[in-house]
Amino acid sequence: MWVWALIWGLVLSGVAWVSVSGEVNELLDDSLLSAAQGLWRPVSESVAAAESSSLAPVVQTRAATPLAGLPGFPGDPPSYRIVWQLVQHVPHTQLLQASPGAPSEAFFATATAGLSDLPGWRVAGVATARAGEVFYAAQSQAERAEASTETLLALGLAMLPMALLGVWWLRRQVVEELQPLQRLSQRLDQFDPTIGGAWLGPPERAELQPVHHAIEALAHRLAQRMAHERAFSAHAAHALRTPLAGIDAQLAVALQQAPAELRPRLQQVRGAGQRLQRVLVALLGLFRSGAGVHLAPLELAELVRRLPVDGLQVQVREPSRLVADADLVSAALLNLLDNALRHGAKQVWISVPRPALLRVEDDGPGVDAARLAQLNLALRDPQPQPQPLAQAQAQAQAQFPDAGAAAPPGRLLGLGLTLAAFVARAHGGRVNLQAAARGFVVELELAPQRGQHFQDIA
Amino acid sequence: MRVLLIEDDPTLGEGLRDYLGSVDVAVHWCQDLALTRVLDLDSFDAWLIDWQLPDGSGLDWLRQLRSQGKDTPALILSARDLLEDRVRGLDGGADDYLVKPFAPEELAARLRALLRRRAGSAQGRVKVGPVQVDVAARAVWLDGEKVALTAREWSVLEALVLRAGRIVRKSELEAMVLGQEAEVSSNALEVHVSGLRRKLGHALIETVRGLGYRLETD
Repeated sequence: MWVWALIWGLVLSGVAWVSVSGEVNELLDDSLLSAAQGLWRPVSESVAAAESSSLAPVVQTRAATPLAGLPGFPGDPPSYRIVWQLVQHVPHTQLLQASPGAPSEAFFATATAGLSDLPGWRVAGVATARAGEVFYAAQSQAERAEASTETLLALGLAMLPMALLGVWWLRRQVVEELQPLQRLSQRLDQFDPTIGGAWLGPPERAELQPVHHAIEALAHRLAQRMAHERAFSAHAAHALRTPLAGIDAQLAVALQQAPAELRPRLQQVRGAGQRLQRVLVALLGLFRSGAGVHLAPLELAELVRRLPVDGLQVQVREPSRLVADADLVSAALLNLLDNALRHGAKQVWISVPRPALLRVEDDGPGVDAARLAQLNLALRDPQPQPQPLAQAQAQAQAQFPDAGAAAPPGRLLGLGLTLAAFVARAHGGRVNLQAAARGFVVELELAPQRGQHFQDIA
Repeated sequence: MRVLLIEDDPTLGEGLRDYLGSVDVAVHWCQDLALTRVLDLDSFDAWLIDWQLPDGSGLDWLRQLRSQGKDTPALILSARDLLEDRVRGLDGGADDYLVKPFAPEELAARLRALLRRRAGSAQGRVKVGPVQVDVAARAVWLDGEKVALTAREWSVLEALVLRAGRIVRKSELEAMVLGQEAEVSSNALEVHVSGLRRKLGHALIETVRGLGYRLETD
């Protein structure tokens, strides 16, 4: 603040100086002219008297006439701020008298009345009563500059404290005026727009009333929308979950009652139904989380324990703590585990090898390098733009050389990886498929990684 | 074991009734709350209640019964899977909460666990003098020797063990054990009780004249 106050003070001083400098020069000129007008008569008359009393021709003299004692210059010893010359220009230029400090040569070779500038001097010429005689009063430019400088300094010394005071006062006013906005900001921090009827409180200033109204109206719309979505989600959940439970119960009974030759087929149907249940539960979880990602510390072991995946041995390795959205991670894991089961895995290992990285590894047959490259390419661009086949192949070849003559990446991903990618993107991250000596390895980055840019976040 | 199932979905309701029946759990199935008004709710060993029913909330129905002092074990079946819903269900008086879709095998296992707790034994064995009863395993021992019971005898014994210390009315026991047959034969229950006394000792089951039967555990 002080730097700005200083700059402001200097600016003000400069502005003031620009305004005042003309007046200063005018004052100095007025003083000069007044001095000339006041001095010419006594000096001229004293020279005339000296000439008439003396038979010697008039010669140039250098009178040591102190300024003090002359009219207009009372008091202190001479400072030679103003010097003067009495010059006779007819028939030729002759310096009749001059004050101490005045040049030894006449200021002008010809009679010059009024204000003029000479190198180093500002000169005021006044014609005397005698023909051809001019009285010149002059001030050195250095003196004038000094006067200007002193004026500027005085201005600056006066303006700076004023500027500082002004800036301080202005800042204080601005801060006070902004206090209601700051308090509004604090209230907004604790304001939960998802609660129906949420209210920010009365506005502290009339100017903030439109802001309050706009925020509360937005919150109301948001709360309504969320309520509708929750209601729809609950209704959809009930409408989908109950029939699935019914199908499973009926198949369980049918398995008990069916002849032996029919049981394998019924078991297959029941398995497919249970898989459909898992996918549906995952989708419902994703739909419910669509309103936003709710990050919280998760203990993976506890989360995995609640996932219903029969026929698969799931082991959670340490470290196993993660900060992520529980519903989304459950949905992703459910689908990845289901994928592993479908692709022949018997065992799955889940771990968090580094913060915000969830790793799922199975002991299934895995995929070859070309296929892995294709899948990774498809994961990079979940919504590829239509493009010619040759172009898509060239792109795939450039990014993943192992992909070989790849088909366009558009529809390579199954539901499991697609959902996993969605979950990762919802967290600002992405999915990577890692090469492994055995099985299939999926890594979900559940936070933006440094140096990476993601174009699509659902 | 006899349970009341309140579930409006016909596929699920029928499937659960038939499956639980196959594991010796008699199910009385109602598709809405109105049908429960004519029932003797205390005659059931457990209630299986769907939360969202066409004529009301199963949870509210349960809350009301709990406020009347009814303590029959209750298990909520619901499509609502949020934590707050599970908490509401359990705080509302349910002893367990099962989220749909679920496997009927799991439902049966949870029912057995509920009734084990009700019988007061984490290990599932209840001691009555020289007699030990394992409700979950459906087994009984006398002085360490396993005793074979008929299905009906077991149902009577199980019903009395689950209500140990309380007088169980004859009509209630008949409804639980005999179901439709209770109307056909008036002394069938006495036959099964006599069979139990013969095999496990006369001191096992007390007849409370004019009221019913009672079994006291140690």
